[in-house]
Formats: sequence, C-alpha cells, structure tokens
Amino acid sequence: MLLEMLQSLPQVLIDGLALGAVYAVVALGYTMVYGILQLINFAHGEIFMTGAFIGTAFFILLMGMGWVSSVPQIVVLIVVLVVTACLTGLLGMGIERVAYRPLRNAPRLIPLITAIGISFILQDVIRFIAELSSGNYIVTGPSLFTNQLTINFSSISSIFNDASFKTSFLIVLVTAVILMISLDYFINRTKWGTAMRAVALDRETASLMSINVNKTISITFFIGSALGGATGVLFAVQYGTIDPFIGFILGMKAFIAAVLGGIGNIRGAMLGGILLGLLEMFASANLSLLTGGVFGAEYKDVFAFSILILVLIFKPEGLLGKPTAEKV
Amino acid sequence: MSILEVTNLTKKFGGLTANQDVTMNIEAGSITAVIGPNGAGKTTFFNMITGVYQPTSGDIKLEGKSLLGLKPDEVAKRGISRTFQNIRLFGEMSVIENVLVGMHIGLKTGLLGIFLNLPTTKKEELLAEKEAYRLLEHFELAPFLNEKACNLSYGAQRKLEIARALATKPKLLLLDEPAAGMNPAETRELTEIIKNMGKEFNVSVLLIEHDMKLVMEISEHIFVLDHGEKIAEGNPEEIRTNTKVIEAYLGSGAVQTV
Amino acid sequence: MKESLAKFLQYKWSQVILFTVFVAVSSAALFFSQKSVTAFLLLLSSLLVLHYMKLKNVTKWIIALGLLFILIPLASSGGPAFQSYMDVATMVGIYVSMALGLNIVVGMAGLLDLGFVAFFAVGAYSYSIFATPQAANFMPFGTYPLGGESFWIFLIIGGVVAAIAGVLIGIPVLRVKGDYLAIVTLGFGEIIRILFNNADKPVNITGGAMGIASVTPPEIFGIPLIFPNQFYFVTLVILIFTIFTVLRLERSKLGRSWKAVRENEIAAQAMGIPLVKTKLLAFALGASFSGMMGVVFAAKQAFIDPTSFTLLESFTILVMVVLGGMGSVPGVILGAAVITILNLQVLTELATWVNQLSFSGIISIPEALSPAKMQKFIFGALLVAFALYRPKGLIPAKNKIFDEKRLKETQAHSDMNATDQKKMQS
Repeated sequence: MLLEMLQSLPQVLIDGLALGAVYAVVALGYTMVYGILQLINFAHGEIFMTGAFIGTAFFILLMGMGWVSSVPQIVVLIVVLVVTACLTGLLGMGIERVAYRPLRNAPRLIPLITAIGISFILQDVIRFIAELSSGNYIVTGPSLFTNQLTINFSSISSIFNDASFKTSFLIVLVTAVILMISLDYFINRTKWGTAMRAVALDRETASLMSINVNKTISITFFIGSALGGATGVLFAVQYGTIDPFIGFILGMKAFIAAVLGGIGNIRGAMLGGILLGLLEMFASANLSLLTGGVFGAEYKDVFAFSILILVLIFKPEGLLGKPTAEKV
Repeated sequence: MSILEVTNLTKKFGGLTANQDVTMNIEAGSITAVIGPNGAGKTTFFNMITGVYQPTSGDIKLEGKSLLGLKPDEVAKRGISRTFQNIRLFGEMSVIENVLVGMHIGLKTGLLGIFLNLPTTKKEELLAEKEAYRLLEHFELAPFLNEKACNLSYGAQRKLEIARALATKPKLLLLDEPAAGMNPAETRELTEIIKNMGKEFNVSVLLIEHDMKLVMEISEHIFVLDHGEKIAEGNPEEIRTNTKVIEAYLGSGAVQTV
Repeated sequence: MKESLAKFLQYKWSQVILFTVFVAVSSAALFFSQKSVTAFLLLLSSLLVLHYMKLKNVTKWIIALGLLFILIPLASSGGPAFQSYMDVATMVGIYVSMALGLNIVVGMAGLLDLGFVAFFAVGAYSYSIFATPQAANFMPFGTYPLGGESFWIFLIIGGVVAAIAGVLIGIPVLRVKGDYLAIVTLGFGEIIRILFNNADKPVNITGGAMGIASVTPPEIFGIPLIFPNQFYFVTLVILIFTIFTVLRLERSKLGRSWKAVRENEIAAQAMGIPLVKTKLLAFALGASFSGMMGVVFAAKQAFIDPTSFTLLESFTILVMVVLGGMGSVPGVILGAAVITILNLQVLTELATWVNQLSFSGIISIPEALSPAKMQKFIFGALLVAFALYRPKGLIPAKNKIFDEKRLKETQAHSDMNATDQKKMQS
C-alpha cells in the first residue's frame, strides 16, 4: 500500500501544487477582506469564476483576431491577465460599494446575506451571458501551453513513477508565486499597504490618523478581486473547461485554506492554500487505498471540510494566526 | 463575614501582566469600590471574577467556594451578576424582556412544560413577569416596559442594565462604571439607587467608577489598582490622603505640591 | 372621500363583510374556472388579509382553520387541476414548516445555518430506507419494507433523528465563533449530501445517486394515501402543530434566551444562559421540524435522490426566512408561501407563457432568459434588496406586548406568593 502511495506521489505533488496555487491566491482575497471588515465575502468565489469567464472570452476574441498565432502566447496571457484583473478588481470594488458599505453598522448576519445574494446574481448573470453568446453555459477555451513535459522521477529512485504535466502548470505556478510576492511586498512595504494594515487593526483610530478608511477598503477589495479574477484566468488555462458553478465550491475551499493558514494573515493564506491543495490531491489519489475501497475520491470535498472543522476546533487561530480574545 | 475572597490573583496576556497578585476581601452587605487610572486592570479583574477570563494563578472564592474553572453562566448561577462598561443590553428586545432574561436562572420550567404550556409554567411566567415589572417600577422604567431597549435614553439604558443584573437575584453585584456618560442629575439618582441597593435587594456591591464624588460618597471600602497591582485599600478618608494613590493618579511630582 | 373609506376599512364589521365577499368571489372563481392560478392565489392570499384584520386571535384561528381544512380543498376541487393545486398547497405546507424550523436557528438564535436541508434529507431518507427493501441490505433483523402504518411512527422518528443530527453537527460547530458557522454548516450540508450520494457501496444503504424508488405510501385505517389531496391534510395537521409549537417556544424562557444570545452573547452568558446548550437546542428543535417534513416529502414523492437536497434548497429556505422577516413567525409563513408558489407555479407559468409568445413569433426571448431558469437570479436579487432596504422582512418580528394593568393588578397577591415561597424554601 505504502509503495503504491509512493509511486503516485510525484504526480500528486504536481497536481496538488497547481491546485494549491489556485487556492492560495483566491484565499488571499478572502483573508484580506476578512482582515479588514471581519466579513466572509461569499461572492469572492464568484469573482474568481467571473475572471475565468472574462479571460476565456478574451482568449477566444484574441484568437479570432489572429493574435494567438502571431504573438507569443506568453504575451497574450499577460495582456489577458492584466485586463481581467482590472475588470474583476473594479467588479469587486463595485460590489463592496453597493452591497457591503451601506451595511457596515448592521448586525453581522445581514452583510453575510447580501454576500450570498450577490454570489447568486453573479452566477446567474454569467450563466445567461455565456448561454446567450455560445448556446451553452459550459465553455471550453482555446488550448494554450499544452506541451506535455515529463519529469523522470523514476531515475531518482525506482519507487517513484514518472510525473507528467503541461506547460500551463508552470505558468500557473510561476504567475501565482509572482502575484503572492508582489502582494506581500505591497502590504508590507507601501503606503497603502500600511494603511490597510492599520484599518484592519482599528478602523476608528486609523481614521483619526487621517487614513481614508473607505478608500482603503475599496483598494482592498480591488486588489483581492483582481487577484481572484487573475486566478480565474489561470484556472481556465490549466483546466480548459469552465462553468458558472466552479466558483462556489472552489471559493469555499479557498476560504478553508485561509482559515487553515490563519484568517486575516496574508502569508497564512498562501501556506494554507498550498497545503490544502496538496492534502486534497493526496486524499483523492489515496483515500480509496487507505480505507480499503470504502471511501473513494468522491469524498475529497468531505475531506476538505473535515480539515476546516478540525482546525476550527483545535487551532481556531490557524497555523500562522495569533489567538485573539474578544474585549468585554 | 466576607462574601468574596480573592487571593494572589494574576492574569497574564502573553508578555503583558494585567493583574499581579491582587488580594482582596469583600464584606457581605458592603459597597466596595475598585478605582485606579485607565489601564490599571480593573475590567480584567471583573472579567476574572465573572468567569470571562481564567486567571493565570490565584484563587477566587464566593462564600468559601472557589469559582475557578467556571464559565460565566455558571458563575452567574452561583450568585454573581454584573453590568458592562460599554452597555450590553439586548437591544431589539423589549425593556421588560431584558429583565425577564435576567430571571432565566430562577425559572425551572423544562421543554415539556413549554410545549404543553403546563399550569405550573404559566404560573411561573406570570410571577416572573410581575417581579420584572416591580423591578422596572423600582428603577422608574415601568412606563417603557414594551419599548425596545435600544430606544431608551443612555441613562435609562444604564439603569436597565442594573435592573437586569438584579433580576438574577445575585449575592454580589459587579457594576463596571455605572455612571459613565451620565449627566449630573442622573448620577445623583444613581448614587441614591446604589446606596439603598444593599438593603432593598440584599446584595453586596462591588463597583468600578471614575466619578470620585460618587465613589467617596457611597463606598465603605475602596481598593486602588495601578499597573495591575493593588497599591492601597481602606475607607474613603484613608484613600483620599494616601500618597501612593495621589502619585498613581497625578504623577510623582504631585505629592510634594500637595 | 379617501378618509371616510379609510375609516370604513378600520371598522371591524366592514372588514368582515369585505373579507367574506373576497373569499366568496375568489373561491367561486376557483371552483368554476377550468384552471385559474390567479383565483387559487387570491384565495390563499385571503389568509394574509385575515392576519391584518381587527379580530381576536381565536376568531382568526377559527376562520383560518375553516379556510384551510374546508374551503380551499373544496373550492379547488371544481376543475381538472385539483390535484395540482393540492400538490402546490402541500409543498407550501412542507416549506413553511421547514422555514419555521430554520427561523428558530437563524431568526431567533441568530445562527446562520447554510446547510439546513441536510436535516430534511435525514428525515426523508430515514423513512425511505425503511419503507423500501433498501433496509434489508444492512439490517440484521426485521422484514422490509415496513408497512404504510409505520409512516406515523416515522414522523416522530424522522424528527428525532434530525434533532440528533442537529446536535451532532452542533457540538463541534457551535464552539466556533459566529461567522465561521455559516461555512461549517454549509460544509456539513454538502457532506451529508455526498454521503447519501455515495452510500451505495460497500453496503447499499441509500441507493447512491440512483436514489430510492417506490417508497411505501402511508396508510391510515387500512387506506393507503397516494393522492396530493390526502397528503394535503396530513401536511396541514403537522404544519399547525409546528406553528403552535413555534409560537409557544417563542414566548417561553427558551425563546427569550435565544433572542438574548442573538442580541449579545456575552451579556446573555453573564445572565446565566449557557451558550452551547441554548444554541444546541435551537439547532435540534429547528432540525426536528425539517426532519418531520422530510418524512412527509419522501412519502409524497414516493421517490427520493440526492438532487432534492442540494445547496440551492438550503439557500431557498434561507431566502424564505429573510424575505418574510427573520424571527417573525407570520412573516416566515408568508415568505415560505411566496417563494414556494413563485418556484412551483409563477415561474413555470411564466416560462410557458414566454415560450408561447416566442413560439407564436410575437417576441423572441432567448431560451437562456427563460423565467424557469432565473431562480437563482431572483433569489439573489431578493436577498440583496431585502438585506439592504428591508432587513426586517415583509412582516417584521414584533416583541410580545405585556399588559401593564395585568402586571400591576394582582401585585399584592403575587407578593404574598413570593414570600410564601421563600418561607417554604427556608
């Protein structure tokens, strides 16, 4: 049994890293918003999904214009990523302005409810735009970066099987890492990053220090949503086929990743995302093996949620978070 | 006889020490005040007595029985009730319902009684409602019984919080800055209420307050906390002249000039 | 003119007369027309009108029961659509009951539960498994399927099992602070659905994705219940039981503790309310109503599979509660009725109508915009609009009004009682 697990390990690691990178960047959006507003932005998963659709639409459009064949694919990707990130960023800002800002002093249940509502609206709007323009809401983008690569793990030791992946895996991983590093820099080294941390710590005091709280929150939403949308594009490139319902469960998983790493903690979200991706891939490859066929890969979602519950019970502050006590 | 004995109570939050070896005895039937500059650890002290925080070390005994390890609701059942520095009423509930929640401990009905609306349940409810009404009358809140608590004036909200705390029939009542934000007239009214509380409700009172006039007028005994440590105790006259206290409040230079 | 009309409407007897006319006209229209959804809806809305009339509560209840038990079934029996009306009415009853259950959790105790349909599923499966040969796959004793009389016992079993599921879910979840609860319950809802979807191996318990078919119909006095109009009465009785129970709970010390926990956990705890126990009770009691109706649903459909218990169902019930008014029993009843009818009748009717229009070439509306597919958009828009502009819902929750005179009157008497009790104790 152990042998079989080891054999598949290289492939599990690669698939897990790709998935984990996606979780990690989406988790950043949850963690930033939670850090600053203590709100679970249910719509964030939908922004990710919207990003995937906008990106795919651009790819198809640019392909129609002949860009894809004449310009290097990587340039196309960068253009699409930037444009999509800007659009979803604006979308996120708009959502905050319309659905969350008026409710900042309402009971905490209420913004959660608008968040769910917004998430439904986005799902359905994207569904019918997709259905209207292509006749089907399941959309397959152009295939990019499809060169198959193989790493000969078997040459290291005969225990391992070889692992194979597409170039897109590298693209996803590298882009995700670049996004995370730049965000980390932004949060810790720039003026607006400092403002964001200040507002997250104490909104009133920050406003007394002449920080424009509303603007800071808007920027937080812009950045979080831009990251989410860009990850959507990466997701579309990596997995090819998308539908309007990918956001919800993926969003939940990313949220779990954020909690696992310590909600409100940027580096925690990155760690949590990668960890969750790896664990989930490992589970879906080996659950059936480990339980003698009683539970199979279909239980991988159950597995993710079980992680959430275990974390919340035993280490609610997450791996990198600090415990807090409510003031009385 | 002392109702509450606190021995060597210490609370550390990480590296920060909020309370250090605080020891005090509170006499049954007395009105006692805890004073000290902001950040002296007074509210933390209250939170340990009521079970919100568990102390790092030391012991708290109510009538000789330790309260360590109890949750806030269990502490309330033992007979300690409190008000909060930042008012914590049940805003959307009516004034009388707020007081009725305070009576929760005294109501014995089980689920079956609720489902079947048994005569004993009905009787118990009616008695509780009447008692709640009497409490409201005592605090001159009876005319507002059906108002939402969040619609009351600030002073009235403070009074309602005290009424709600008394509804649990406590042996010891902790008041966390009861006069904060009140105007002079309201403070005067409150002073009278607290003064008479011991006799009328058979309760000992421990309060945190910054209004020194109120503190000096009603307290029989005063404890002074500074930087988490007890620096003085005594009757109002002793506290007024204690150099350590003056130093804590006004800085070390103040002592010479006085 | 306007003033005198308003005055006229304030007068009790004029209200009664108008109400009678309204009910008579709508029921006659329903009875004599072949298929008129409008008349059916009007007749149902008379219950809402009744809610606002100036009558004593007892009178209102008697009229409402008369309408529900006699007039509505009678008036809709005129046309060929009788069973479909009864089916819709039954579904309304099922959803109202569930929404009332969720209202305890969300509205009263303030705990956002996004996996509520799990309890409905637990109830539905507990009857379906034992009322089909399915149970023989894993039960070491007994012969299955159980007879139709077992339905009545399963109503209670379904409620209890759902309550136990509520407690089991609650124990780990309720230690968690506020916001996480939404995610964790959502996760649990999915977990339970995935479990039912896959529990066909290694032992076939739930039939997996295929579901469970030909559930034994309930039996009473040897008569099997098959038709929607029969289920209508079963649902109605359970619903009325639910409403009475929920109203009792709301006015009790337990209802007060739930609201106190919702308003301010720390203060509630300082008043001696044990947080976890109180929240668990909300979870368990709310779940039990859902479980009970799950049993009815399984028996009515005679077939269940995991697709009836998706996340969307959980959100639908939440929309009902938010729309009607969190914490408000009449509001939630209205909200559940509106959403169920919207789902089952209005949207499908609209979709057929739109189809006809495009078919006859008057206007062409693309298939993607068909009203039947717009459910999520409508729910989302309703959630956002109500949360922003009317967070208290269609009929906001009201606090119980205490009669000052009654509290004053016998004060001397109660004083005596109190002192008596003290003497007894000492």
